[in-house]
Amino acid sequence: MVGVAAGQGALLATALAWAGCGTRSGVVAIVLLGAAAAAAARGPAGALAYLIVPLWVAWLARRGRLATLGLAGPVPGRALLAAVALGAFLGGHLLVSASLTLGVRLRPGPGGVLAALAYDAGANVLAAECFFRGALFNRAQRRWSFATGVVLATAAYVVRYLVDPLLPKSIEWVVGAAFYLALLGAGNCWLFWWSGSLVPGGVAALLFFAAYRLLGTGA
Amino acid sequence: MRRGLGAVAALTLALVTALIAQGGGDPASALRHVYLIPVAALALAFGRLGGTLGAGATLVLYASVVLPALERSGLTPETMEGLVTFALVGGVGALGGTLTTRARRQRARYETILTVQRALADVTPLEAALRSVRAVLLDRLRAADVGLVVRDGEREVVVGAERVVAGSVAARVLAGGPSVFVPDTGSGRRPRRVFATPLVVAGQPIGVLAVERVGELGDEERAALEALGAHVAVALENARLTSRARRFADELEARVATATRHLEELDRAKSAFVAVASHELRTPLTALRGFSEILAARSLAPDEVRRMAGIMGAEAARLGRIVSDLLDLSRLERGLEPTLHRVPVAVEGALTATADLFRGGAVDTIVVDCAPALPPADADPDALERILANVVGNAVKYSPPDSEVRLRARRAGAMIEIEVTDHGAGIAGAALARIFEPYYRAPDVGAVRGTGLGLAVVKALVEAHGGSIRIESTLHVGTRVTFSLPAVP
Repeated sequence: MVGVAAGQGALLATALAWAGCGTRSGVVAIVLLGAAAAAAARGPAGALAYLIVPLWVAWLARRGRLATLGLAGPVPGRALLAAVALGAFLGGHLLVSASLTLGVRLRPGPGGVLAALAYDAGANVLAAECFFRGALFNRAQRRWSFATGVVLATAAYVVRYLVDPLLPKSIEWVVGAAFYLALLGAGNCWLFWWSGSLVPGGVAALLFFAAYRLLGTGA
Repeated sequence: MRRGLGAVAALTLALVTALIAQGGGDPASALRHVYLIPVAALALAFGRLGGTLGAGATLVLYASVVLPALERSGLTPETMEGLVTFALVGGVGALGGTLTTRARRQRARYETILTVQRALADVTPLEAALRSVRAVLLDRLRAADVGLVVRDGEREVVVGAERVVAGSVAARVLAGGPSVFVPDTGSGRRPRRVFATPLVVAGQPIGVLAVERVGELGDEERAALEALGAHVAVALENARLTSRARRFADELEARVATATRHLEELDRAKSAFVAVASHELRTPLTALRGFSEILAARSLAPDEVRRMAGIMGAEAARLGRIVSDLLDLSRLERGLEPTLHRVPVAVEGALTATADLFRGGAVDTIVVDCAPALPPADADPDALERILANVVGNAVKYSPPDSEVRLRARRAGAMIEIEVTDHGAGIAGAALARIFEPYYRAPDVGAVRGTGLGLAVVKALVEAHGGSIRIESTLHVGTRVTFSLPAVP
């Protein structure tokens, strides 16, 4: 878990470096995520430590240092609505498909789900959106084109989750992950392009991962 | 209408899925064919995006029917039917949408070209034509900005910017470079892409079309912009040629009118000159003839004979000056410069001789004011005498009897500046502008005698020496003529 969190920290630090925040911010990101992972390892309540990271990122954004990542200015309401629709649709579809196709049941008890949600909000979704959308897709679409940016960022996004040690390794889960994450990644690229903000993509991803965490095998 | 279609298509897809699931979730249900209708409708209405999203939504919805069956029973004829339906819907959505998008873009391009040609049909000045084309392109290309530069002879006509900045994309393309694409020019929320393509006619770049857009400007669109640039170039070239032809026609008309006016004035001046010259030539001839007849018919006292001979000599000299002026003018009109035999000439002596010539005439006082140690002028003595005689003669003719005419000579660098000042009637501004024209005489000269040749010849003689002449005059106050001749180094 700590290794995964360090990986998230590396993604977040790279994104911050591309945004011009300097090495110190990257180190802070890695340290914060590592410390949060260590706290989470002690018990589900410790996972709340992950929530420090988005607060710190929000503080950086308020100071205008993350504008190139799409974390500045107002967030269009229509984009938020579209993000909620996308996340809810993909998450809902995942729940229905997984229960119908694989017979997966919902996870019992809220404790593990809340800890996983804190991890998603503070590490998983935050780092992935900052790196794959805010940094990688944004750069690629400026250098080449929207389509190239989508393909590059989405492919990297899918690969990142396929090599994630927390993903179940059965073929159904790998294919499902590739399918849903490709749709989520492409959708989030479009949301970023449309709204100019990273927030809608983060909302969609949080909703999707919330649905994923509800599944019994959602790690 | 199109939004409504999107909602209806989404509802249809959800309804079909629900009905298939309600009927037992058979992947080979006949209802699956209904999926094609909303997908095809979305592809036709929204193009590639609509077709792809429609097909994607169908796949996502229908997967909840096909995949569980596949998991349960493996590859059966029913599940195969479901997988074929996946492929069919995906193909219809993607292919139909792509073809629709292409057809629409093609139509939009033709419409743009047609609109550009219509916009240029009635507009002939090049600037107006470019503004018109820019307005059309801004609207049709959904561009943030459009700039057009066209070379028209030596000048560059620019719309959409104040000028072509050196080293800019437009400047590089205008210098004969290929099309240039800049993927992003700023740090806004979306990339600002710029594409500049040359406007080429008969292999020669005549200008640049630069388009700036927030968002996508793909390969296909850039190729289309290059093709559009070729059409715009031809249309602009036509407008440019028409504009140039019209401008030339206008200029020619104006020049012909000016030349005609000038010729008419010249003709009038020559007619007037013939009358004046006849009179000017006849007067000394009459005097010569009269005095010669008297001398032949009568025996006169020697003093009287000398007086008459003096008058005859003066009249002959006057006749000679008029003939010399006519000859010089004739040479000038043939584009020949006066022939000069330049030697060092003492300026003070020349001024004094001229003053003596006119002393005792109408004017009371002629003052010669020469700077001390003035070097001699490098001039033709006869030419200088004629220059001075003309200028001083004019000063005397147009001055009241009790006034003073002042002849002044000074060194001015390598030149000697000679100034003749009178306190006569002065010259009106309009006449002053034309005073050096041959045959021209100011309209208010009254009965004062003259041919209108003198100052034209004076100017030619001064300039043949490498000098210059100017006249300053105030009506009813006086006139100052200043001319310069080279000093002997």
